Amino acid sequence: MTGMERVPMGPPWSVDLIADLHAGVLPPEVAAQLRPRVEADPEAVEILQALDATLEDLHALPPIPMPDHVAARIDAALAAEARPAAPVVSLDEARKRRNRRLGLGGAGVLVAAAAAFGVVLAVSPGTQKSTDNAAQPTPTTSSAPGNAAPPLAVKGDDLGSVFGEVLKAQNYGPLETPDRLAGCLKGGGITSTSKPLGISPITLKGKEAVMAILPGGAVGQFRLVVLDPDTCGPDKPEGVLADNTIKPR
Amino acid sequence: MIALAKVRSVTAAASSDADLISAHAAGDPYAFSELVKRHRDRMWAVALRTLRDPEEAADALQEAFISAFRAASSFRAESQVTTWLHRIVVNACLDRMRRRQTRPTVPLPEAGPGEPVAPRDAMSDRETSLIVQQALMELPEEQRAPIVLVDVEGYSVAETAQLLGIAEGTVKSRCARGRAKLAKVLGHLRNRIADANVPADGVNVQEQRQWEGR
Repeated sequence: MTGMERVPMGPPWSVDLIADLHAGVLPPEVAAQLRPRVEADPEAVEILQALDATLEDLHALPPIPMPDHVAARIDAALAAEARPAAPVVSLDEARKRRNRRLGLGGAGVLVAAAAAFGVVLAVSPGTQKSTDNAAQPTPTTSSAPGNAAPPLAVKGDDLGSVFGEVLKAQNYGPLETPDRLAGCLKGGGITSTSKPLGISPITLKGKEAVMAILPGGAVGQFRLVVLDPDTCGPDKPEGVLADNTIKPR
Repeated sequence: MIALAKVRSVTAAASSDADLISAHAAGDPYAFSELVKRHRDRMWAVALRTLRDPEEAADALQEAFISAFRAASSFRAESQVTTWLHRIVVNACLDRMRRRQTRPTVPLPEAGPGEPVAPRDAMSDRETSLIVQQALMELPEEQRAPIVLVDVEGYSVAETAQLLGIAEGTVKSRCARGRAKLAKVLGHLRNRIADANVPADGVNVQEQRQWEGR
């Protein structure tokens, strides 16, 4: 502070200057001299009142509820984040162990990591049946277009085995674009307008495919769709190799 | 069974955010999800109001919550959990804003900043909120972020300066500019006054710069 700041002449004063006074931008000695003069000018007072009314409007803005699909996506990401800390074991074995611990069935116990490895695959009619065997994703030696890393290999036909890895990816692989994905999903009667929660090239029984994870329609549920990039398209339901919904136990 | 029952009871009984953070650090698998559940609407509002784009807001929040999940064990109780979470969310949003700075801001299709959007007295609260929300979205990013934090979220100028990494004088000045624009867009400022007084004259702009760094 130099003590030499000039007090702006007026009235009239600019809206910006009065907004500065209102917001406490001006040096205290300038504000102290300016305020009584501003408050004596009806037009400047009107501007101060308009700024107060604006603040009231902003204070009164209601919260914006997070949309369900965003909440589901964040839950999924956190579940995937929790996953590396959890030992990856056979789901059958884990269930047996847990049931022994709890002395009851699986209902009601949900740990964050369970969404990543303790999933139930609800198989849709007409799609392939999944097993309960969870296992760590096993990379293969083949490579996917557009991605130097080898695609994730599904262990047997258990799509849950690559769930965590696919969820972390946004790699369209041979499908290349969101439009192409949308076309292939349409072939399976799936109309999804949102970006997939995760997408990655995979191999299923040795064949190159693409898995997309979509919101499953409820918090904590996910839809796993496996597409054959060679055959899928808007009018080609045969290009959908699997379409399963998973939910945390 | 005993261990699981214990952690579940910690989550269920936890009354404060700090308890949840401690429970998370102690291995309670429910604690962080509960914390996210408590704060996600508020954080969503901050991200959406700051970034404007729902996809980007979702990406930023996901990044922020993952980063909070990882950092939670090092959280120290000197700050409020909400402030800590806010800081992480705001930083994730700012990172995105910086990355897209070269891209032009997409104007919203509704009334431009020079036009009051509707007569004030004919509006319901909900309509008013939508209009205020829309007006807020029309502000330049550098003014919108401090206004969201100070005027909508209720942070102090000092806290906001810290969150945004700018001087307190800059926070005040950007809020002042943004509020002046909003006052006009929202129809609080009669056009005659606004037209007669805006833009600021050169002297004021110069003095403004001199005062901003304080």
